[in-house]
Amino acid sequence: MNIFLRELKAHRKSLIIWCICMVFLIAASMGKYEGLSSSGQSMSELLNDFPKSLKAIFGMGTFDIAKVSGYFAVMFLFIQLMAAVHAAMLGADIISKEERDKTSEFLFVKPVSRTSIISSKLSAALVNVVILNLVTFISSLALVGKYSKGEAVSGDITKLMIGMFIVQLIFMSVGSGIAAISKNPKTATAVSTGILLTTFILAELIDVSGKIDFLKFLTPFKYFSPDTLMYGGAFGLGFLAFSVLIIAVTFGMTYKFFSARDLRI
Amino acid sequence: MDVIEIKNLTKNYGKSRGIIDVSFNVEEGEIFGFIGPNGAGKSTTIRTLLSLISPSSGSAKIFGKDCREFGPEIKKEIGYLPSEVFYYDKMKVIDLLNYSASFYKKDCSKRIKELAEIMDLDLKKRIDDLSFGNKKKVGIVQGLLHDPKLIILDEPTSGLDPLMQQKFFDLLREENIKGTTILFSSHILSEVQKMCSRVAIIKEGRIIKLEKMSTLKDNNYKKFKIEIDTSIDKNYFKIKGVNNLSVKDNVITFLFKGNINEIMKKISSVDIANLYIEEPDLEEIFMHYYEKEG
Repeated sequence: MNIFLRELKAHRKSLIIWCICMVFLIAASMGKYEGLSSSGQSMSELLNDFPKSLKAIFGMGTFDIAKVSGYFAVMFLFIQLMAAVHAAMLGADIISKEERDKTSEFLFVKPVSRTSIISSKLSAALVNVVILNLVTFISSLALVGKYSKGEAVSGDITKLMIGMFIVQLIFMSVGSGIAAISKNPKTATAVSTGILLTTFILAELIDVSGKIDFLKFLTPFKYFSPDTLMYGGAFGLGFLAFSVLIIAVTFGMTYKFFSARDLRI
Repeated sequence: MDVIEIKNLTKNYGKSRGIIDVSFNVEEGEIFGFIGPNGAGKSTTIRTLLSLISPSSGSAKIFGKDCREFGPEIKKEIGYLPSEVFYYDKMKVIDLLNYSASFYKKDCSKRIKELAEIMDLDLKKRIDDLSFGNKKKVGIVQGLLHDPKLIILDEPTSGLDPLMQQKFFDLLREENIKGTTILFSSHILSEVQKMCSRVAIIKEGRIIKLEKMSTLKDNNYKKFKIEIDTSIDKNYFKIKGVNNLSVKDNVITFLFKGNINEIMKKISSVDIANLYIEEPDLEEIFMHYYEKEG
């Protein structure tokens, strides 16, 4: 419990900053929407004339961005990216930081097993991830609701946030797994965010090309994307199962490798 | 009873050497010196004991229990002071000590205050505002606050001024009288001589000598360096107990073992410009052991 509380405290400041940035991102984007919607249909028509690949890059392939739900779906791409970056960095950092800060000779000589240290740390990371998700959820509901003009959005937002939560969990567990394997604690965060950006770019390529849909399972950003979840869509069981598998395997790796390996001092 | 039993402990770091076939026992209630030059494998041995790293072969027991299998259990009774102390920079000293204490299921607040007073440590400062020596003091308090039965010290005096070293040694003696076993690792022979009853000497990963301090004291070499204004006979200092004698221009150096009065008399009858008497460094002591073995 003491390690859990200590980690919460240690990450409090950074979590607050992430939350503020998230709220700011949503607020700023919705501010843009206000300008966009007041220009009426013309903006939407203009964008419809964009080449398909360009629209794909901005993630607005199938959405009508004149509608608040469509606009939010496009924005969600970046919200999710931000939450995923946070989760990946947190997962890698929370496991590797004792070695990076050379405090392992403090913590790991205490009468606690490495397994329970990892559990406390991962629980603290989970709390951080949940809080960022809830802040995103609540501020999305509030800010999108302001412009919805009666359009029902809360159902879609809820679904997107559940999807985002699973993506956050995937990247957090991958980050922790990498930190557990990595012999150099300083590279763990860089490698995790590198993997994240690679999968993000892959997701973009899938959108642009339209022909490599079979690669979707390689990038968590495609597991629960707005175009499948919104307008009555459902979570794909295959992707859900695959997510659970990734999370289980990488968490398992974290415990297995970190418990056994020599600490770098 | 043996508090620490190390049997044929070997640790390879890939291709580079760690420790090879290290074996020794530390008895309950003794202060055991563990001495060797930097990079000899002292810290590696200690980190293996604390299961921060795992041995390639061999085993180590603390309180009769395997130190890997029962790690968390035996660590309840171990206090450890690492050679380089690093803590969470943003924490205050008192918060760090309370955090440390929270791992042991007893109230340590009184002991923290006592120790901080002895070591003259400001509890309200932030860790990153502390000097190296003050961080070391935090380490000392942190290692002793839960009244451990075994204290493991890795180069404990580096960064401490002589006064603090003295207070620290007094503190250790007090603990030792209460029955605490101490493993004292150092590369400074004199401080081990002051404190320890038995000593293991490690060099290049191997234990080359395991001896009682009293025996080692009989081999108490002193290093002499004498500067003279006039020239003297090359063999003037060639008496019993003098080793490695060298005369270069006006500087004479040698190692001496034996009755210190004899050599002082010899020196006093020469007109000298300057005189240095030093503890020989470890290399020289080791050389001596190698010579004896060879």
